[in-house]
Amino acid sequence: MSETIELRAFMGLTDVFRQRGWDNPTTIDVPGETSGPKLLALLELPREAVEVVFVNGKAASPEAAVVRGGDRVALAPPGVPGPYRVLLGFRKMG
Amino acid sequence: MPQFIRIDMGTKTVKTEACPEQYAGLAGRGLTSIFVADEVKPTCHPLGKYNKLIFAPGFLTGTSAANSGRLSCGAKSPLTGGIKESNTGGTFGQKMAKMDIKAIVFEGLPTEDKYYVVKVTMDGVTIEEAPAETIGMGNYEAIKVLQAKYGPKVGVAIIGPAGEMRLTGANISFADPQSNIRSAGRGGLGAVMGSKKIKAVIIDDTGAKGVTIAHPEAFKGASKRFTNALTTHPVTGQGLPKYGTNVLVNILNEAGGLPTKNFREGRNAWANNIGGETMAATIEARGGKTTHGCHAGCIIRCSQHYHDKEGKYLTSGFEYETVWALGANGCIDDLDAIAYADREFDDVGVDSIETAVAVNVAQEAGIIPWGDAKAMLDLILEIRKGTPLGRIVGSGAAAVGQMYGVTRVPVVKNQSIPAYDPRAVKGVGLTYATTPMGADHTAGYAVATNILKVGGFVDPLGKEGQVELSRNLQIATAAVDSTGMCLFIAFAILDIADGFNALVEMINAKYDLALTGDDVVALGKTILKAERGFNQRAGFTNAHDRLPEFFEEKCAPHGVTWDFTDAEIDEVFNF
Repeated sequence: MSETIELRAFMGLTDVFRQRGWDNPTTIDVPGETSGPKLLALLELPREAVEVVFVNGKAASPEAAVVRGGDRVALAPPGVPGPYRVLLGFRKMG
Repeated sequence: MPQFIRIDMGTKTVKTEACPEQYAGLAGRGLTSIFVADEVKPTCHPLGKYNKLIFAPGFLTGTSAANSGRLSCGAKSPLTGGIKESNTGGTFGQKMAKMDIKAIVFEGLPTEDKYYVVKVTMDGVTIEEAPAETIGMGNYEAIKVLQAKYGPKVGVAIIGPAGEMRLTGANISFADPQSNIRSAGRGGLGAVMGSKKIKAVIIDDTGAKGVTIAHPEAFKGASKRFTNALTTHPVTGQGLPKYGTNVLVNILNEAGGLPTKNFREGRNAWANNIGGETMAATIEARGGKTTHGCHAGCIIRCSQHYHDKEGKYLTSGFEYETVWALGANGCIDDLDAIAYADREFDDVGVDSIETAVAVNVAQEAGIIPWGDAKAMLDLILEIRKGTPLGRIVGSGAAAVGQMYGVTRVPVVKNQSIPAYDPRAVKGVGLTYATTPMGADHTAGYAVATNILKVGGFVDPLGKEGQVELSRNLQIATAAVDSTGMCLFIAFAILDIADGFNALVEMINAKYDLALTGDDVVALGKTILKAERGFNQRAGFTNAHDRLPEFFEEKCAPHGVTWDFTDAEIDEVFNF
């Protein structure tokens, strides 16, 4: 059963959305619980275009992300300044 | 031998000496902070005769290294009552370094009611009366007047009307390569310069031999690797040049850490209208520049030229924190109005963070409504007029809160908390609480993998790992602030370890040293301890390292609170 998520894009990905004629934010259907890699495949976005997937305001790598119907999802490409990538939990340290 | 220049504004005497031995191995923030800790009476009145204002370029300022144009300014802060280092771009620091000037110190107070221009050239230092027309004049116009008089390429450090009024939100403005404005913004150092009756400092490096490099080939090699690290990284190669620091609006909004309506919520519905993506599209549509360097040799170029609707230059250095304070925290969904405010902040000479948060507290007090762009601009224009209300707003968020009986005042040590909600980004909250500077996001900014050994992901909403994170970021930042490098280099060095190694190697090649990464960490610790020591002698205790109590309230969308115990907060400076 397909479910709807609200999807946002930031930085250079806003240009990709615009070129494809998508609103930002937009809503898309996902086939139930969907992994980050499956979401990117669904959106036809390469892995390297996305550093972090926000799901309901929490950052995760695309590999760790899981989205479900009703979620607020956002895609951030590489380019978020370093301290914030650490402070917001994008980047594993150590 | 580097020169150390002391200018006594009371007697109008100038002493130029070889750099004292205890300061020889220091530069930038390391020099300004250790100097202030050594020579300024901690209990002095910041606007009185015992305070001293010092300008010092960093270790690499003036060299051919990319992004090495920063200048540190230090004194006892009239805003916080503690030690202050505030650094800036512009052309001034590079000229000092090329003239082999380690530091310029301004001491004493004139008794007469006159403003002066201090002129520094290769022939020495002169002190002359400031051109009458510059008194009370906005900084944009005054820089033109001074460069017409002293030469179009001279470096200019200047105070605006706010500094003349000695308001605690006053900054020191510096001419950039296009004679626009960069600022040593935080902590009210413009009021210190105003108390010494210095309208402007002019620096003319004509005839300077330039910086000397002990090992030019080694320097060149390290510099090339360093540049490569910056240009190939997506943050400094693509993100910042196009969107500026305002790229953070949408990111922080998504993370639930974009303080909205005076820190009532961490997210709002209009963030995208004021964010970097919208800003870049607006700049492009109006023929502005999405990218611009604040000093020669900057290759990150995070600044911009933002034009008005008629395509005329309005402002540059239009930063995330200013946009956040007025746009999100003040609910003003109008990027043009915020740009006009940013220009006025620069022109009247006040810190754009402190004053924008002061506007938020004025909104809290009911002086102007939330979201009212015209009322916001009218309020800011009161500063220039010197009205009682204008002076209060120009004295910062805490002053507005005190005058109007407001308790919801986001400050630590009287300095306003910037653009990252400490409940949803807890690591930065610890830095706000504990940095000797008063709430300052840039006090915990530098990330280098070989310094930061936190381990694992740090959950921004949780407490685990945050004490070590804040501590290590503050140590690394104090060291990077001494290099003369823009702190934004750290945005890239996080991922490219060789970039950090190259930075240390450049310092070694310039000075014939053999520093290691450990020495850099040790320098960062020494600086922080000197700063904290000054504050303790000025009367600060651990009790001053606390956030306002309203942060105990839950912050949407994550429902998080500020929940560190006092003992946990006090661990940050346990090193």
